[in-house]
Amino acid sequence: MADMTEPTRQTDATGQSGAANPPNLRITALNKSFGGVRALDSVDLTVPAGQVHALLGHNGAGKSTLIKCLGGAFPPDSGTIEVGGVPHTRLSPRESIAAGVAIIFQTLSVVDSLTVTENIFLGQEWTRYGRIDRRAQEKVAAELLDRVAASCSPRDRVGELPMGQRQLVEIAKALSRSASVLVLDEPTAALSGTESDALAARVEDLRRQGLAIVYVTHLLAEVERLADAVTVLRDGRVAHHSTGARQGRRELVDAITGGRGAASADSAEDRAASAGVSSARERGASAVGAVDPPGSAAPDPTMATTSPTASPTARLTVRGLRGPGFGPVDLTVGEGEILGLYGLIGSGRTRMLETLFGRRRASGGTVRVGERVVEPARPADALAVGIALVPADRRAQGLFPGLSAQDNVLLPTVGTLARRGVRALGAERRVFGSLAEAIGLRPARPGLPASAFSGGNQQKLLLGRWINEARAVDVLLLDEPTQGVDVGARQEIYDVVSTLAEQRGTAVLFASSDPEEAAALAHRCLIVDRGRVIGELSGAELTEEALLAAVHDADPDPPPTSASAPTPAVPHAPHHEGAA
Amino acid sequence: MTTATTATAAERAVPGPRALAAGGLATLRRQPLLLVLALLVLVFQLSTGSFLDPGNLRGIATDAAALAIVAVPLALLVISGYLDLSVGSTLALGALTAGWLAGEQAQSPVVAVVGALAVGAAVGAVNGVLCCYLGLSPFIVTLGMLAAVRGLAQQLFPLPLSGFGDGFAWLGGARIAGIAAPVVIAGAVLVAGALFLAYTPTGRHVFAIGVNREAAYLSGIDVRRTPFALFVVTGTAAALAGAIKASVLDSAVSGTSGAGFELTVLTAVLLGGVALSGGSGSVLGVLLGVLFLGCLQNGLTLLSVPTFWQQMAQGVALVAGAALAYFGPRTTR
Repeated sequence: MADMTEPTRQTDATGQSGAANPPNLRITALNKSFGGVRALDSVDLTVPAGQVHALLGHNGAGKSTLIKCLGGAFPPDSGTIEVGGVPHTRLSPRESIAAGVAIIFQTLSVVDSLTVTENIFLGQEWTRYGRIDRRAQEKVAAELLDRVAASCSPRDRVGELPMGQRQLVEIAKALSRSASVLVLDEPTAALSGTESDALAARVEDLRRQGLAIVYVTHLLAEVERLADAVTVLRDGRVAHHSTGARQGRRELVDAITGGRGAASADSAEDRAASAGVSSARERGASAVGAVDPPGSAAPDPTMATTSPTASPTARLTVRGLRGPGFGPVDLTVGEGEILGLYGLIGSGRTRMLETLFGRRRASGGTVRVGERVVEPARPADALAVGIALVPADRRAQGLFPGLSAQDNVLLPTVGTLARRGVRALGAERRVFGSLAEAIGLRPARPGLPASAFSGGNQQKLLLGRWINEARAVDVLLLDEPTQGVDVGARQEIYDVVSTLAEQRGTAVLFASSDPEEAAALAHRCLIVDRGRVIGELSGAELTEEALLAAVHDADPDPPPTSASAPTPAVPHAPHHEGAA
Repeated sequence: MTTATTATAAERAVPGPRALAAGGLATLRRQPLLLVLALLVLVFQLSTGSFLDPGNLRGIATDAAALAIVAVPLALLVISGYLDLSVGSTLALGALTAGWLAGEQAQSPVVAVVGALAVGAAVGAVNGVLCCYLGLSPFIVTLGMLAAVRGLAQQLFPLPLSGFGDGFAWLGGARIAGIAAPVVIAGAVLVAGALFLAYTPTGRHVFAIGVNREAAYLSGIDVRRTPFALFVVTGTAAALAGAIKASVLDSAVSGTSGAGFELTVLTAVLLGGVALSGGSGSVLGVLLGVLFLGCLQNGLTLLSVPTFWQQMAQGVALVAGAALAYFGPRTTR
């Protein structure tokens, strides 16, 4: 930081790194694991000056981990990060900034109560006779704002600016710190259509000014418009890399999904049947033998799946549900049906689920469980009518880390099991034991603290909370049911959920940003974008590729797809022809 | 520190019935303070020669009783993620109320004690409403109540009270099967606390709320009522301890009764392995913390160590204990 005290020097900093001209950013063989899960597996990424490098991959592919290693939030296990020719094996957040890396996260780090100028100079204020030199700062701030073509004034309070302007302020701040590498993490996610266009123009300007730009996005349209090079991450590895010529969308989608969609011919049926996309139906059927909770005879396993749209009884009926940031939403989940809500992070799925669970107040609409209209004001109310939620943020909202596995499963239920106010220890052990067997908990030790279990087994504990012998809910809401769960346990969790729906007729509504998961687990899947349902896929149409296409092709402008019309399974085939 | 240490602390803190039956070695591993306490006793016995005399032990037990009576409910409150700093003042108000009723008002000892308990419960209820239902910071609320209740006590009883009568003296002086009444009461509180934590649903909820309040709320657990009740119980217990002290001393002084008591109790609770961050702790640990402080104070007094050195020893013990818990061996992760 010591050498950063004069932010004016940045104007020509980008091009002057010496005759050899090393790329502004070169990441080599970067590895990072989290408790056995390989988040980054020997990832390489090179971004020279004046390049916009798109970083693609669906949620959990390793993009965030990569960015966080670059920004110094995580130390990588091995590998080097070279910024402007200087290699680092690890960076602290300070070192990262000093090296010239600026990361603009989706959640901006501007201080709303300060002015634009104060934000830009935060932590590197110019002083004159011990006082902040406001005038000089404002002059430079104005220049920087000009450079990013921001329309706000240096004296505006950031909290009063629209999102797009705040983002530009943050970019200006990065420029003031001589950034040579600019990372934009899904920069258009929170922007309106016109703001997105303006941002694209700024990105092009900054490229011309010689910055190396890493552009993280889900939208293939943005890649086509802006990117000079593309890297696709999948399961922590570089699944695809290309420079120069623009990529066909199909190729990128294949790289993101692992080529599952491309293996077969165009017909959607073939694709559904191709390797990897095994349907919930097949697996559900195969799981019946493995997981067999006592006392529940298996009904016809095809009942819920043969015609899910016309399911015999609706367990959960939602009409016109509205809340902050979403709605109105209509949906129906039948008995034994698994309905998916697929959409990108921030599309409002979590809020929908939390509203159904009474965690948030609905501003309108009706919810019925069976025939009964419910208006849960608190989670306890929702649970009382048989609705349970397994939240996405396992650590913050689900788990009791220091408490035992048995406590984690049975805490909400010990009261019902207790006799005359005294815990029924025998019954607790028995319920836990049979649950642990049914869900394949490993290790099946009731006394082990939940924090000692793997992510997958922790998730099983949270599921088990609502589906054990002592407490079985009618409607199970799952938010990102396998986030941070390794591949093997993921399948087991799907099996548990499928079996539950089949054998007990539980209505399952889950939200996922992982198309693979949505395609594998759901009988029927709604596509959610900016708080609204923009399409529905079911049966053979419900494939990973179709889901990806539906959201990635969604225009940054207000959704053109009409709310009722189902998104076609392969809407982007013409693009493929044209772009290749 | 939080995840790693609370995880291990909580596992040891939640003794299922099986753990209770487990051997002494396992207990020792879970409660390193037991070893420290044994060493302390050994050192004091060797250096004074009279530390283990029955008379002295009875003295320790009686002194520690008031501490234990408040430490147990306070520990539960801390486990659920809250805190009560007002217990010293509540103790004073309880002592004065009981003494005033028994002495000046010449009420029966039962009325005196019940009156004190009611006052304590009221103070606890105020704390509980402000912290649990209005969501104010327990640190700020109870720090404020520490001052406010002391002020109230001084306003109501500006002069020292004494001469509470023989009936009231029974509370502090009677022997039940050879054991002093306060010790019997403290024993009952300890057993009740341990049983509550291990064998009632609400006892499990105390841990759940302290470990992860949000998760407890999303699990349908009432995250306000239980800590509120614990505030009321803690206030009541503080007043009971005050009544006992008034009975033992046959006097109560609004300016000095229970002054600094809140910090001693909290020290015992924390020494006993209850995490200030909530979610872990055990009644056995609290008992050891109370006994440790009782023995330390008594032994140093026997050795004629000046009071300020005793206070320093207490402080050093707390910080050393915390440091040991932080830097000591961690079993998981």
